[in-house]
Amino acid sequence: MKILVLNCGSSSIKYQLINTETKQEMAVGIVERIGASDAFLKHKAFDKEKIQIDGEVLNHSTAIEYVIAVLLHPNYGVLKNIKEIDAVGHRVVHGAETFSGSVRITDEVIKALKDNIELAPLHNPPNIAGIEAVSEHLPDVIQCGVFDTAFHMTMPPHAYLYGIPYKLYEKYKIRRYGFHGTSHRYVSERAAALMKKPITELKIITAHLGNGASMAAILNGKSIDTTMGMTPLEGLLMGTRCGDLDPNLPLFIMEKEDLNLKEMATLLNKHSGVVGLAGLTNDMRDIEKAVEEGHERATVTLDAYNYKIKKYIGAYAAALGGVDALVFTGGVGENSPLTRRESCSGLEFMGIKLDPKKNENAKGECDISTSDSKVKVFKIPTNEELVIALDTEEIVNSVIKKKK
Amino acid sequence: MAEEKLKLTDLTKKVTKKEDGERIDKVGIIGAGVMGQGIAQSIAAKGVDVIVVEKDEPSLKSSIQNLTKTMENEIARWSLTKSELKAIMAKIKWSLKIEDVKDCDLIIEAIEENIDVKVKIFKELEELAKPHTIFVSNTSTLSLTKIGEKIKRRDRFIGMHFIQPVPKIPIVELGKEVSTSEKTVNRIKEFLKKIGKRPIEVYEYPGFITTRVMMPMINEAVHILMEGLADAKEIDCAMKFGFNFKMGPLEMADAMGLDDVLSWMKQLWNALGEPQFRPCPLIRKLVREGKLGKKVGEGIYKYDAQGKILI
Repeated sequence: MKILVLNCGSSSIKYQLINTETKQEMAVGIVERIGASDAFLKHKAFDKEKIQIDGEVLNHSTAIEYVIAVLLHPNYGVLKNIKEIDAVGHRVVHGAETFSGSVRITDEVIKALKDNIELAPLHNPPNIAGIEAVSEHLPDVIQCGVFDTAFHMTMPPHAYLYGIPYKLYEKYKIRRYGFHGTSHRYVSERAAALMKKPITELKIITAHLGNGASMAAILNGKSIDTTMGMTPLEGLLMGTRCGDLDPNLPLFIMEKEDLNLKEMATLLNKHSGVVGLAGLTNDMRDIEKAVEEGHERATVTLDAYNYKIKKYIGAYAAALGGVDALVFTGGVGENSPLTRRESCSGLEFMGIKLDPKKNENAKGECDISTSDSKVKVFKIPTNEELVIALDTEEIVNSVIKKKK
Repeated sequence: MAEEKLKLTDLTKKVTKKEDGERIDKVGIIGAGVMGQGIAQSIAAKGVDVIVVEKDEPSLKSSIQNLTKTMENEIARWSLTKSELKAIMAKIKWSLKIEDVKDCDLIIEAIEENIDVKVKIFKELEELAKPHTIFVSNTSTLSLTKIGEKIKRRDRFIGMHFIQPVPKIPIVELGKEVSTSEKTVNRIKEFLKKIGKRPIEVYEYPGFITTRVMMPMINEAVHILMEGLADAKEIDCAMKFGFNFKMGPLEMADAMGLDDVLSWMKQLWNALGEPQFRPCPLIRKLVREGKLGKKVGEGIYKYDAQGKILI
């Protein structure tokens, strides 16, 4: 099947056309600056040169129209007929408590997404706009939604409830949801495959470390805890987000620095984490370079970053009652041997033994632990788009079956 | 990357550009004072092109510096990021020539509260602006109808009263004059939504809501001070904590500038003739003495170099 995978943001749409038989992308691209007269589309077909096309893009609907047009283009495209698109899979950020798995998008699903806007005010509206745009231009094509939160819906109440008045959970659905679910799910399944064991018999800790970062405790294939909470601000120290902190801090800082709600949110989301602590950059590669040059605050920042990961490895080992595998993924997780080494250091007592050589030279999917390590440690590149495509394919197949 | 310049419209062979008179892509601002700078920042922050016109080179230079400084201060207090500052400044063009706003879909005047000067500017703009362009006055105390009477495009003329500090205040008072068309009101409402401001619709009447309520309150607070009922700190403290205001009225008057407060009071006094708008003699005295408030380091209070009240 040929599945168009879309990630619709407020002013951009990322797309990939994936062939599920070969599991390869046929084309990838992005439309940026939607709503502006100086918008552009960057596109690359698998066998062709990358191109950029400029122009005005009024809204998500025109953006989708252009995406379809470029996929069909005789020179830059990969499709001869619009009917070759078998289905469209959307990355949807917040499924709240309504969605615990990927679903076919129907009017009821759109209504539920609209009901959940309050939980993801920045992300769900453009996701909905993308879905509506596809309905307009590909009315007969099945659309599916794959949620960032869905994989964590298996968390038990003791993991997802906050220690605040229960009424607030009932009134506003305030609880922990977790994100990066598609990635945690994919890499944990890959780890089980590499171990040649059924995932239903494994205890796995996954660390998705990018500019945003989260970890998950996965018991027998189900997420039982994750570091992000009601919003992606909780948990690990991230590129620009603070991660866990004493909840009194925002109140204290707002009063001392005379900040309003919006300003406080900017401080915690954009000026904190690695960039706030080191005062340099949010890019871990630059932080590592600064550490080599002896930059003191970069050193403490990197230590804090790795320490938080280690702390959660310990916590999740306890939550799972042991660990069979630890997986690193995401930009930093896949590319920083240093972070993998430091966050695993001193954990030999619990059976985590990293092979320094394998760790340094890790390429693609690989085991980076020693052969006698009780816990297998993997580096696995994530592929959320592929999961979205495969989930969509599965839903389409079941729809076809039902029709028969 | 391929060499040839590709256009998105070539892909679909369809033109999807909005009609002139529909969208607001470019905004002209006449006057680069604190108000003009704040309006420019708020609009540019949402990705809309802005051109700011000032009358002379030194004023223009200092406006650019001041706006940069204001935003740098916001970065220092973590409410803005460096890349946001860069993106905002990239969207603002600065000019000394009023002709440069001729392509704008919306032109906002943010100059002194003087009806003759405002009318003169709008008459000049009428000669060069596109037919669908909306003219906006930022006045809060002058009669919009009186300005509207003097210009031809009355249906495309409206009042937008931004409040300082513009990037932080989420409301704008939208003042219709008698001839403002519904289409104009709707275009402006859509635009305000885009820049994240909630419109407060007000019928043309000097002072709108905000100025009309705040000025007599400030005036009364200065009367209390003048009569010796309490000192400034006590008056501000009473109002701040008694009514949950963020700032006391005297502190607020200093922040606005006592010269501006006096000029607004005079306008309201002239236009409405009610006794509560008669400026308190102490305001007049302080303005005469050049004690104009926070901006000069002294008004009702004295300030240190960082703008903090000296006790």
